[in-house]
Amino acid sequence: MTIEFSLTKRQEELRGMIRSFAKNVIRPQSLAWDRAHGIPEDFLMRFTQMAAAAGGSAGAWGIQGLGASADESAPKPDAADKKKKSAMVNTVIAAEELATGDPALLLCLPGPGLGGPPVRGSGTPEQKERFFSIFRDMSAGLKWGAYALTEPGAGSDVAGIRTSCRKDGKAWVLDGRKCFITNGARASWNVVFATIDPALGRAGHRAFVVEKGTPGFSVGKIEDKMGLRASETAELVFDECRVPEENLLGGEERYQTKEGFMTAMKTFDNTRPLVAAMAIGIGRAAYEYARDFVKENYVLSRPIPRYAAIAERLARVGRELAAARITTWRAAWLADQEVANAKEASMAKAAGGQAAIRACFEAIEICGAHGTIAEEHQLLEKWFRDIKVYDIFEGTGQIQRIVISKRLMPDLKSF
Amino acid sequence: MIDFEPTEEQTLMVTAVSQLAEKLRGAIRRTEEERGLSEETRKTAFEMGLGGAVSVPESHGGAGLGLVTAVLLDEALAAGDPAAPFALGGPGAFASAIAELGTAEQASAWITRLSAHDRCGAVAWSEARPNRTRPGLSALATKDGDAWVLRGEKAFVLNADRADAFVVFAQVDEAKGWSGVGAFVVDAKADGVRVGARKSTLGLDAVGACDVTLEGVRITNDDRLLGGDEFTKAALRFFVKEGLKVASRAVGLSQSAVDIALEYVSNRRAFGKPIGHFQAVAFTLADRAIDIDGARGLLRRAASLWDAFAAGTAQERDALLTSAYAIAASLEGAMRAGDDAVQLHGGAGFMRDYPVEKLMRDAKQLALCVMTKEQADQLAAAIELDMPLDPALVLPTPDLQAVFT
Ligand SMILES: Cc1cc2nc3c(=O)[nH]c(=O)nc-3n(C[C@H](O)[C@H](O)[C@H](O)COP(=O)(O)OP(=O)(O)OC[C@H]3O[C@@H](n4cnc5c(N)ncnc54)[C@H](O)[C@@H]3O)c2cc1C
Ligand SMILES: Cc1cc2nc3c(=O)[nH]c(=O)nc-3n(C[C@H](O)[C@H](O)[C@H](O)COP(=O)(O)OP(=O)(O)OC[C@H]3O[C@@H](n4cnc5c(N)ncnc54)[C@H](O)[C@@H]3O)c2cc1C
Repeated sequence: MTIEFSLTKRQEELRGMIRSFAKNVIRPQSLAWDRAHGIPEDFLMRFTQMAAAAGGSAGAWGIQGLGASADESAPKPDAADKKKKSAMVNTVIAAEELATGDPALLLCLPGPGLGGPPVRGSGTPEQKERFFSIFRDMSAGLKWGAYALTEPGAGSDVAGIRTSCRKDGKAWVLDGRKCFITNGARASWNVVFATIDPALGRAGHRAFVVEKGTPGFSVGKIEDKMGLRASETAELVFDECRVPEENLLGGEERYQTKEGFMTAMKTFDNTRPLVAAMAIGIGRAAYEYARDFVKENYVLSRPIPRYAAIAERLARVGRELAAARITTWRAAWLADQEVANAKEASMAKAAGGQAAIRACFEAIEICGAHGTIAEEHQLLEKWFRDIKVYDIFEGTGQIQRIVISKRLMPDLKSF
Repeated sequence: MIDFEPTEEQTLMVTAVSQLAEKLRGAIRRTEEERGLSEETRKTAFEMGLGGAVSVPESHGGAGLGLVTAVLLDEALAAGDPAAPFALGGPGAFASAIAELGTAEQASAWITRLSAHDRCGAVAWSEARPNRTRPGLSALATKDGDAWVLRGEKAFVLNADRADAFVVFAQVDEAKGWSGVGAFVVDAKADGVRVGARKSTLGLDAVGACDVTLEGVRITNDDRLLGGDEFTKAALRFFVKEGLKVASRAVGLSQSAVDIALEYVSNRRAFGKPIGHFQAVAFTLADRAIDIDGARGLLRRAASLWDAFAAGTAQERDALLTSAYAIAASLEGAMRAGDDAVQLHGGAGFMRDYPVEKLMRDAKQLALCVMTKEQADQLAAAIELDMPLDPALVLPTPDLQAVFT
């Protein structure tokens, strides 16, 4: 063990490959995807195949979809990876690169997505097989999984969900609404959180895998968003929706303890560094764009005096991104070492989101009117719209600070 | 391979230094009043290997433990008292300067001479006022036969009151502006060296800062430091690496400020509960914890890049850029941590019964040693914009020029 931050040769190679693919193939299409509110399936199909072929262990590289690092169906990391325990670090490195091309692509990738970690963490062997096996061969058509926790009345306050569930014979009956669910409409199954009794708080929570076509389950509104417009965000409606009892995640015994809620939360320690890395990727794209703009327009062509303020702003943006990247790497590294990392994962998410938002804001300002209106700078405008949600989903900036505060002050139960 | 874990040897050293730091934390006000560390502390620290030349290569008379080890130890010691790493016995910053600018023979001879708990070295770079007649330093080195004669006034020289020798920067070629700067080793006892009275400072009271006047000091050519092939590059490396050490002290300070504030807000009650249980207070500390994690990571990454650069496995550009980021992040973070620690103590924070007001003062003082945040930002921007690393631009010159002027 020794403190060092150089990438292995293999990491360098894969990063280089993804970096050039993001720049030369993904980015040129990203504005069109944004306008079309989606990424063509044949592109997703080709991309998935290419990533699997090139990476050898695409799962370990996080390019099979958000949360894929914890996905049972993904190819196992190769032996070398395991020995050196770098799956999570690899994933955040890859996610940052991909996001420089288009952040929505990561959210659109087929696979279990955010639904992966709870099934993997809490599912019975039979459930894991049943729900993951559908992703093994997608040559006939792409498939997605999704994660449905948020409701109109409960986002940050996860314990306050009202979607109800009650046992009726061999089925559970679900009633309620979920909102803002990524890939919720196209998903073959959603992991849905519901409560047997709101008064029980977390202890009353149950997690179900609700399959497409389940009677009483329907898709409501598809959201029209500020950014990440190529990613589907759906409302899900449960109206006396009858879910077979074998779809209660982990089986009934599991809920004798507080596990139900923990199922929801465990997802985040793994995904927060990943989301942070994506944010940093977008921020870096904007930063590099502004930096090159300054290089060309001021430094090379017309030396305008006294632009120290611009230099300082560039430096600050570059620095905050670099700091957030290290924090993200550390959170991922701790996960690879199997050390508890809730605080670090939250620090990464809070730092990454904020640094990247600042980067996108500053880039627009530095490029001036060019940033918001000029035809050739539409990417800047898009990144500016895409980035904001990175301080909102997977726990808002404030929620990350609550997680950190509780780790700093162990006797702090709640505010 | 990305790895955040120190070696076993480093962990052992840090543990020992942390114990000393704990003692220093208890004695922080006494150190301040006495305006220096005790003889005994200097002895203990020196025996631990501190104050000497932790990161200087063995070929140059140092311990050869690398910059990562140096920043780990500095951070650990500064967590006890941020002033302590400046106030130790041994060659200190002098060692870093001569190792970077001198030959192996020059460095090992002088570092060996100064390696004792009751010896000390200093670096004289700054001048109180920029030169109005031409770019460059006002202090002049003129050739006289085989020797050099130094004339001029250097300002704010840390440890000048205790120093046995100085690395002095002076203009060797007036026509060349900031590219015409040279460096010399000056024995403190040499004729014509006059050290002014110790200044009263905002913080870091344990270390003296004085003006140094050079009145026709004669130096043999053997004591000129040529900086290898490119003097400016070597000088920049010195400032940046020394800046990293100061930055690691800033991170130690930040950690200590957050720890002290955490304890205070967990015990101090208002409106029926500990003030730490109000979000405005808790989130402030969470933000400082985020700052520390980022700054510390950058610092260690920068130090490891320098160690890799020395081994031929990293680019100087990457080491310089990451260092500039690390320095600015650490200094800015320490200012916020010191300020917030005072703020969260309320009126008590303003009182000298509590250590936080000293940390706030020390933080500002740290931010003005060696390389400032503003200088580091300018350096980072210059590197990122592919500008030539003009010495006027990247050295911490008194008339620091902005990137675009
Ligand atoms: C594009 C997109 C995709 C999404 N995908 C998914 C998905 O796949 N699955 C899913 O389940 N959800 C998803 N979400 C929902 C997302 O997780 C929630 O929006 C988020 O958790 C915030 O919840 P909320 O919107 O209800 O805001 P609220 O919880 O109502 O928060 C509003 C504001 O109050 C602040 N706040 C709340 N509580 C506190 C507190 N205790 N202290 C201080 N401040 C507080 C918040 O930080 C925020 O600023 C998605 C959202 C978006 C925008
Ligand atoms: C130089 C000096 C002169 C003074 N002169 C006088 C004087 O002449 N007469 C006099 O009566 N007093 C005087 N004071 C006292 C001064 O008014 C108090 O120090 C001040 O009101 C703060 O109260 P406190 O020190 O008890 O801090 P606390 O109330 O203990 O506050 C500590 C920290 O917690 C924060 N905090 C507290 N409650 C909350 C909350 N609910 N939510 C979020 N944050 C919270 C505070 O903002 C602060 O950061 C003086 C103080 C100083 C430093």
